[in-house]
Amino acid sequence: MRVLLVDDETEFVTTLAERLTIRGFKVDYAIRAHDALALAENNIYDVAVLDMKMPGTGGLELKGLLEKLQKDLRFIFLTGHGSEADYVAGSSASAGYLVKPVNIDILIAKMNEAVQI
Amino acid sequence: MNSDDKDIQYDAIGEAGLRFFGKVSASIAHEMKNILAIINENAGLLEDLTFAAQRGKAIDPERLNKACRQFTKQIHRADGILKNMSRFAHSVDNFSGQIDLHDLAGLIGNLAGRPAAMRKLVIEVEPPRSPVIFTTNPFLLENLIWLCLEFAFAATGAGGTLTLSPVQTDSAVCLHIAGIDGLAGDFAARMPVGYEPLLMALGAELVADVPGKALVLRLSC
Repeated sequence: MRVLLVDDETEFVTTLAERLTIRGFKVDYAIRAHDALALAENNIYDVAVLDMKMPGTGGLELKGLLEKLQKDLRFIFLTGHGSEADYVAGSSASAGYLVKPVNIDILIAKMNEAVQI
Repeated sequence: MNSDDKDIQYDAIGEAGLRFFGKVSASIAHEMKNILAIINENAGLLEDLTFAAQRGKAIDPERLNKACRQFTKQIHRADGILKNMSRFAHSVDNFSGQIDLHDLAGLIGNLAGRPAAMRKLVIEVEPPRSPVIFTTNPFLLENLIWLCLEFAFAATGAGGTLTLSPVQTDSAVCLHIAGIDGLAGDFAARMPVGYEPLLMALGAELVADVPGKALVLRLSC
């Protein structure tokens, strides 16, 4: 499975990418929306794991931009926020909505579910 | 301070104050969640490496070192955030107290750092030539500066630097909030709800220096 991780917390996204790679996933990561879009222009992904709150272009907006590039791409949102409004927005627009810190086994289960939808 | 003045302050604290406290708390919670997420991933990575080592795979010592450095870095980051949170929480302890304006502006600049970063804005606090120390209601002043920053965020749009500069003159203490692109003379109509009671309670005045792209908060002293 090819995964695109996008989160503005560099140390989070690089370490999570490393852990997913150990588990056999092919992972690219970006810390900015425009880098994520550049990756998606040149690579096909099965799942994008996006942080909801990022400087400039947030996860929901980035999802819309990525969908224009890859219509079959599935999305999972990560957030540090636990607000009701974020939950409603994130869960209705994605295959999974997880609150940080994330259990990697649950994230992988969500990714597997997402590609089967 | 007479009882009428106190009533004004209680009213001002009311809804705007609670909203301010909630926003700061939510922002801090978000930052702490991010820190926990980094610590969680690094702890998980150590587990992954240990698991692999138990099956005969060599561990790169530099990778372990990198994880340790990330733990230390995030612990320092969390410590800084919690120190700011503690200072902020204690600012409601007294209705009146002596404050150093550079210090207080620095605290609000730090607390507003993440909301600013979400808009690709940076907040800088310039030290004054000499310390600007006076007596005021710390929480109300923090709330007022926060509302000025919220206005500045909206007026400036994405990208840029906002500079907070404490200044003391013979007649007043001022805080300049500069770097506000889009500042206009009718700024008051676009200020967040709740700033006027705070101005009244603090005996302060807020004016726009449109050519200088700055709000000037004149405080009584």
